[in-house]
Amino acid sequence: YPLFQLGGPQLRIFRPNFFMLAVRPGVPQPEDTVQFRVSMEMTKVDIKNYLEKIYNVPVAAVRTRIQYGANNKRNHKNQRVKKPDYKVAYVQLGQGQTFQFPNLFPDKEQDTETRSFDDFRNKYMEREKQRQKGDPRRGGVPDWFGL
Amino acid sequence: MAASRGRRLLWHGRCWFSQTESGVPSQPPDSLYPPIVASATAKSKAAKRRRLEHFNQRVHAAASIEEKLRLYGQLQRPKYMLYPQTFALNADRWYRSFTKTVFVPGLPPRAAAAAAKAPGAVAPEAAETPAGAAGVAPEAAKAPEPGTAAPEAAKSPEVAAAAAPYLDMGELRSLACDALLQESFYQNKKRPFLYRDQDHTPGPFLTQLVSTLAAFLCGRNPLLAASSLDLKPEVNYYWHHGEEVVVHGHRKGRVDPVRFQIDDNPHLQIRVPKQLPEIVPLESDLGDVPVIDHKPSKLPLFKKQYENKVYIGSKVADPCCYGHTQFHLIPDKLKRERFVRANLEDQIEVVYRANGIASLFAWTAAQAMYQGFWNEADVTRPFVSQAVVTDGKYFAFFCYQLNTLALTVETIQNNPRKNICWGTDSKPLYDVVEDGSVKGFNDEVLLQLVRFLLNRPKEL
Repeated sequence: YPLFQLGGPQLRIFRPNFFMLAVRPGVPQPEDTVQFRVSMEMTKVDIKNYLEKIYNVPVAAVRTRIQYGANNKRNHKNQRVKKPDYKVAYVQLGQGQTFQFPNLFPDKEQDTETRSFDDFRNKYMEREKQRQKGDPRRGGVPDWFGL
Repeated sequence: MAASRGRRLLWHGRCWFSQTESGVPSQPPDSLYPPIVASATAKSKAAKRRRLEHFNQRVHAAASIEEKLRLYGQLQRPKYMLYPQTFALNADRWYRSFTKTVFVPGLPPRAAAAAAKAPGAVAPEAAETPAGAAGVAPEAAKAPEPGTAAPEAAKSPEVAAAAAPYLDMGELRSLACDALLQESFYQNKKRPFLYRDQDHTPGPFLTQLVSTLAAFLCGRNPLLAASSLDLKPEVNYYWHHGEEVVVHGHRKGRVDPVRFQIDDNPHLQIRVPKQLPEIVPLESDLGDVPVIDHKPSKLPLFKKQYENKVYIGSKVADPCCYGHTQFHLIPDKLKRERFVRANLEDQIEVVYRANGIASLFAWTAAQAMYQGFWNEADVTRPFVSQAVVTDGKYFAFFCYQLNTLALTVETIQNNPRKNICWGTDSKPLYDVVEDGSVKGFNDEVLLQLVRFLLNRPKEL
């Protein structure tokens, strides 16, 4: 790249070393709010510029908070193990856009083969359980009990 | 009696029941045994219902309005603080859901209805309203009235000419321009301090404009002559709406009503001794109330615990206990330029609407509480108030009719009534002030303001 002078063309693109992770919100959020886990050093302005410049997402407002990771668990040496802290950003999208976190594990529709296999498996497990239980006429009493 | 004394001691722990129970009905003389009712102190739903019933009876039987308000806001718990002037996005939708308000764009067709009733325009009071109708017919969206206003339009030009001595637009325009020039041009003021722009020029201009207009129109509107103009009054209201489960603390897991409090400081307020007439009947349905299914704290809205105050701007004994008009000044944090710089043009109108809805709801509901109504004793007549929200140059007009106070979980179930808010978009009063003159003065905005001030009950 040619050496940059003030007022010259900007040929190099600098990308920040931050990463943003879109997460599913634990509590229901408004339709225009997206929840991210971001690096602890990012600010609200950073997040807004990141989304607008790199991903072309219109951002109306950003609110952040730092989630403290608990320090209660103990390892085999009875030392406290800390879960790492992380920053959570709630981004409200502009221009009336909405976002719904997608369902990443949808129920697969079953074809006849898997359905019949599942039925067969359920019936087999029921039969095994019945055999383990013993004679229902004895009312749950084990078979070694008697004269 | 030992039983009642024991009951009083048992209940002493809760602040509700530090006084003797007065709601127990006396025994009918023909029965030997006391009535079988649910316990009052047990940890059961029937006991909770009985305690609530007892509290409601105490408030119903309160001797005076002050006592009723004191009992209503006695129990302090963390509550959401609603700010009418907020930077939150789409706040007007949330506020409409919290206050069960329907927003109707445009102002109600009161003036055009008065014009339709007086076709010859004989009476001098009716003469000025056709002049107003001619001015306002192109303005806001009033679907049913243009049909009746059109035949009036042919007659109204000569009526307007005849009404000129009654409503002199030139005089009013000169009053407004004088106030504006005095504050922004003639008076030597130092540069405003950082973020104090609104207190520097638009604030004093608004005060001056409203006081001079109100004094000028006193002769035409006797209600203004008996009114009270408050400068920077305080308006508070506290209510419950919806239910939630308590998340943290020693009360975790219990189902609580969601509490809200509005603490508002309008720039100016006009209170009158007589109530404004209703705009539409009490049971009218003009739209839908938005439903919000997640917690209010996502707006963002924050909780705090402090005094549950209900106040209209004056105490209960004041004769001017009904509201007429409020004037709000948009603060520096919510100016138009800041929204434009942040690419949030659509939120500019949201600020005006949220301010109008929240402030007017708080004011009308507090007026209703001053008359003895509350969520168990719903209003029997609608309470109407008006508001003007401005940032010095752009004016937005709002009109609110309170039809119901019953917003709690038990009372909202069989309540079909909704509160209604009419409002306009913000329009500029003038374009620019330079060289000792006001350029691009907008007469319609001034006319609307004058019409707001002239609003009065039919009897006067």
